[in-house]
Amino acid sequence: MRRHPLLWKLALLQVCFCLLLTWLIWTWGLSVERSTYFLAPADRVFLAGFAEQAEQAWHAEGADGVERLRRRLETEEDTWVAIIGPHLQSLGTTPLNADEASRLTFMRKLDWPMSRRLQDELPYVSIAFPEHPEDGRLVIQLPEHLLPTGLTPWTHVITHGVAPALLALLLGLALYRHLVVPLNRLRDRADALRADDLDSPGLPLQERRDELGELAQAFEHMAVRLRKSLDQQRLLLRTLSHELRTPLARLRIAHDSELPAELLRQRLDREVDDMQKLLENTLDLAWLDTERPQLATEPVLVLSVWEALVQDSCFESGWPVERLPCLLGLDCQVQAHLDSLAQALENLLRNAIRHSPATGRVSLDGWREGAFWHLCLRDQGPGVAEDELEQIFQPYRRLPGSGAGFGLGLAIARRAIELQGGRLWASNGHPGLCLHLLLPASESV
Amino acid sequence: MPPKLLLAEDDPRLRQDLEQHFLRRGFSVQACENGTQALNAMHQAPFDLLLLDIMLPGIDGLSLLDELRRHQAVPVMLMSALGAEQDRISGFTRGADDYLPKPFSLAELDARVDALLRRVALDRRPPTPRNACTLTFDTANHDVAQHGQSAGLTGSEYRLLLTLQAHPGEALSKAFLYQSVLHRAYTRLDRGLDVHVCNLRRKLGAIGAGHLEIQAVRGQGYILVDASSS
Repeated sequence: MRRHPLLWKLALLQVCFCLLLTWLIWTWGLSVERSTYFLAPADRVFLAGFAEQAEQAWHAEGADGVERLRRRLETEEDTWVAIIGPHLQSLGTTPLNADEASRLTFMRKLDWPMSRRLQDELPYVSIAFPEHPEDGRLVIQLPEHLLPTGLTPWTHVITHGVAPALLALLLGLALYRHLVVPLNRLRDRADALRADDLDSPGLPLQERRDELGELAQAFEHMAVRLRKSLDQQRLLLRTLSHELRTPLARLRIAHDSELPAELLRQRLDREVDDMQKLLENTLDLAWLDTERPQLATEPVLVLSVWEALVQDSCFESGWPVERLPCLLGLDCQVQAHLDSLAQALENLLRNAIRHSPATGRVSLDGWREGAFWHLCLRDQGPGVAEDELEQIFQPYRRLPGSGAGFGLGLAIARRAIELQGGRLWASNGHPGLCLHLLLPASESV
Repeated sequence: MPPKLLLAEDDPRLRQDLEQHFLRRGFSVQACENGTQALNAMHQAPFDLLLLDIMLPGIDGLSLLDELRRHQAVPVMLMSALGAEQDRISGFTRGADDYLPKPFSLAELDARVDALLRRVALDRRPPTPRNACTLTFDTANHDVAQHGQSAGLTGSEYRLLLTLQAHPGEALSKAFLYQSVLHRAYTRLDRGLDVHVCNLRRKLGAIGAGHLEIQAVRGQGYILVDASSS
C-alpha cells in the first residue's frame, strides 16, 4: 500500500481553510452586521436631550409643562411621545389609552440595536430622566430619520465577498508555494541536464518525505545514470580508439617491414586475436550493461565448473592442476546461469593466475550463508591497495603493473554475477587478493 | 560424390574467398549474393549443407531459414556479425543446426562444417553401445553400470559417453559433440559440454570405472581413452 503524504497535506490545508472561512463569516460578519443596527452617538445624545427637557419640565412646571413638551415633541419629530412616571402612568394631563400602554411593554434602551424587523413598526425607545431616573422616563417612537440604515450592500460585499476572496488567495499562494515552486526547481534541473550541465548539485527537494520528494529522488537517480553512462561512453571511446589503433599500428609497421611470410602470418594471427578479444569483451560488457538480459538460471555444481575451467587454465598457463585446488564438495550447488557464471569465474581465475608468483596457488573455497553460497577465490599475488578494491571492477580500469588485458574481465564478471542475483566484491587476504562471490543456493539439494 | 554446398553471403570478397576455399576442399559450391537468389537455388536442386549469413539484402537469413524449414530438413549453418551470446539468448539461432559468429578462422569453419556433415551422417546410423570392458549400457534407462553398481547418469551424460565410446581413440571436436550430444550450436562462452564432461568423469570414478578417461585435447575436443586396455 502506497502512502499518500501529499494527499493528506492538501486535505488538511483545505479543511483548515473551510473552517476558517466559516468561522470568519459566523463571528466577524455577524458582528459587523449587528454593529450597523445601533444608534449613532450623536443621535443618542440628541434623544437623551429630550429626556433632560422632560425632567426639567416636570420639576419646573409639573403635569402642564410635561403635556406642553410632549405635544411640541410630537409635532416636531412627527412621532408618538409619552412621558411616564415610575408606575408607568402618564405624567402629563392626558392619560394613556390601552393601545398606548401596551406599547410600553416593548420598549428598548438607547444602546440597544434598532430595526423595524418586528411587525414593520418603528421601535419604542425608553430614556430615563438623567438626574433622577426613579422619577420617570420619556418614551418615544423612534423618528424615521433616526433609524439606523442597517448593512449596506458595500459592507455586505466586503464581509461576504472580499474577505473570503482574500483568504482563498492566501490559500492559493500557499498551495503554489508548496506544489509548484518545487516543480519549477525540478524543471530548472531538467534544463540544466539538457544543457549538459551534469555536475550541478543534487536537489534539496529529495529530503521531502512525500510524492514530490519521491519524484525528485527518481529524477536524481536518472541524472546519475545519465552521467554514468556518458562517462562510460567517453571512456569507451577513448579506450577503444587507443586499443584498436595500437595493434593496427603494429600491423602496419609489420606489413611495411620486410618480414618473412611465416613471421608476418604469426604476427597477423596474434594481432587479429587480440583485436577480436577486445571487441568481444567490449560488446559483451556493453550488452550486459544496456540490455540487462534475463538469464535463465539452473542448478549448477560449482566443483564441475571449476574443474572445466582449470582444465583450460592449465593448458594456457602451464600450471599443474594441484596448484588450482577447489575445497568445495558436491553439496555446493548454486542457482545460476551456467555460461555467465563460468565466464565470470574464468575471468577471476585468469586474473588471479596472472597476478600470482610463478609457484603460486589459487584456491576456491566457500561456505553456506543462509540461502546463499559465499565463494572465495584466493590468490597469492601482491593484492590491491584498500582504496582501490572497488576500482578494479570499473571497466577499462587498469591498475599500474597489472600487465596484459584490457581491464574488462572483472567488470564483466561483476555484471554477469549481478544479473543472476549474486554479488561480487574483493578484499585483501594478506597475502594476496580474495574475491568474494555471493550466489543463491540451489534448492534442489 | 562431393558434398553440395549453398553459400549465401553479401560481402563479395568474403563470398569469393569462401567459395574458393570450399572448392579447394572438393565441395561443389553455389554462391549467392542475396536471399532471393538463395531461395531460388534451393528450390531448384537439393543441397547437403547451407551456409547463410543472417544479414542478407532482400530476404534475410532467418526468414530464409523459416521458409526452408517448411519443406526441407537440410543442415543449415548461420553466420552472423552480431554478438554470439546476444544471438543465442534472443533465440536468433533457433532452427539452425549450427551458428558461426564472425570473425571466424577457416580452421574453425572447416571443423564446424565437418562436424555438421558428420552428425547428419551419424543421424542416419545412430551409435550402438558396445559393452566395452566391464561397463554395461542400460539403453532403456540411459545409464551405465559396473559390477551391478549404476552411475546415475543424466540423459546428456549418457549420450556423451555413448558418442565418445562409439569413436574410441578419436578426438571429437566440441562443435561435433555439441551437435550430437546437446543438439545445439556451440558458441564461445558455452560451458555446458565441459561441465557435463566433468560430471561424467566423477560419476565414472564413483563406480570404479576410472580407467575410462575422458581427456581434453587442446584445440580439438575430447577423446575417450581406456587406460586399462593399453
